[in-house]
Amino acid sequence: MSEDVKFKGSRSGLQLVLNDTASFSDIERELKTKLESSLNFFCKGTIVKVISGALKKEEQDRLAELFHGYGLILRLMSLETEKAQEKKIIEKKEPEEEIPGLHDMTVIDKTIRGGQEVVCNGSILICGNVNPGSQVIAGGNIDIRGTCRGIVHAGAFGDTKAIIVADHMMPMQVRIAELIARAPDDMEKSKCTERAYIKNGQIVIEPIER
Amino acid sequence: MSEIIVVTSGKGGVGKTTTTANIGVGLAAKNKKVVLIDTDTGLRNLDLLLGLENRIMYDLIDVTEGRVSYKKALVRHKKYSTLYLLPTSQVKDKTSVNPAQIVRLCEDLRKEFDYIIIDCPAGIEQGFKTAIAAADCAIVVTMPEISAVRDADKIIGELGRAEKENIKLVVNRIRPQMVRSGDMLDMDDINDILSIECIGQVPDDEMVVTSTNRGEPVISNESSQAGQAYRNIVGRICGENIPFMEFPEEGFFDKLKRVFGK
Repeated sequence: MSEDVKFKGSRSGLQLVLNDTASFSDIERELKTKLESSLNFFCKGTIVKVISGALKKEEQDRLAELFHGYGLILRLMSLETEKAQEKKIIEKKEPEEEIPGLHDMTVIDKTIRGGQEVVCNGSILICGNVNPGSQVIAGGNIDIRGTCRGIVHAGAFGDTKAIIVADHMMPMQVRIAELIARAPDDMEKSKCTERAYIKNGQIVIEPIER
Repeated sequence: MSEIIVVTSGKGGVGKTTTTANIGVGLAAKNKKVVLIDTDTGLRNLDLLLGLENRIMYDLIDVTEGRVSYKKALVRHKKYSTLYLLPTSQVKDKTSVNPAQIVRLCEDLRKEFDYIIIDCPAGIEQGFKTAIAAADCAIVVTMPEISAVRDADKIIGELGRAEKENIKLVVNRIRPQMVRSGDMLDMDDINDILSIECIGQVPDDEMVVTSTNRGEPVISNESSQAGQAYRNIVGRICGENIPFMEFPEEGFFDKLKRVFGK
């Protein structure tokens, strides 16, 4: 399946990346199914940014309306301002504004199954398993009271101090801020609770006591 | 109180239709009034497994489009008088039926039958959505194989989204020898990922193939291990508490017999 619509965590917030070559109706349809499939998982009030260069005014309005229907806020920005902001962040080493809900915690008390996606500005606590083929993206930390087998991304806005904890840590990929670690090709079931964090510019996983 | 059960899997070829046919025959053998609905429009098989292909007059599409009443389209099983099949069309496709039509049909059937069992097509598209629309509970069929388990996981997620929370698992085509030697996923591995209640473990059995070809579901075969496993599943559906079968270790003579043929 082609992916015309993607959500990406960037330094300055959650960003919607659109395929420029796809038609607007395709984009709208795919976005709708995507939002529908991960409904309940986007926290209310999550701000999603989109680079508006390729979009017409009415298309921008349609997107904003669509997002509004799911309780999300769409922020349009041109390519230049996005670049300028990125630059500003790099230069000043401080976020230009506080991300809303960054310090909030979302609790999910069910298993995240293949094909499901959890996206949240703050931290996430999952009481259940994260199954292969699923994705969990958080602005803050991720705590899994169960087995983690999917893709987990903590500190999606660039927080290098974010951590991921799981009872059994056997994810396909671990991402923290801008770093990615892949699971070894032959993985055994871990016996104790483990924590993933960034140490000396690398993701490390070590056992901890809970 | 009648129950509508959908048999689904996501992946094709894991034994949805076989399971449907066997559970249907098993329930009918317990004197329950059962109707099996095939929703795999365009690729119907359930009639073959029951040996009823030559008795089909009308199909599901005729009923949902209002050309005939469902009573006319039902095909009674030759051996079990309380078992009926509602076959689907082989010429139309899955866009010919919509979820609302199935819900309406099942409401009518509910008045007359104890169990309504719906055979779902593979995939998660329209055919799947149509098949699950009316169901009270779902049986997810999988195999001890990584791709089948993955797809089962996805299907359980999809069922959850459709607010079907009563989901049971049947693991089909287990090869005890391979599980024992560690070459095949065992029940612990599967439960670990899917974490739903398991109501059946069916061993891989050659008799399933022969009985499929003959149009007599394996459940009525007393000597077959798979048949016993299906009888246990039917018992569990009826609320009996039956322990899972142990698969005996293959003895030396069995091995010889297997190597040199029968």
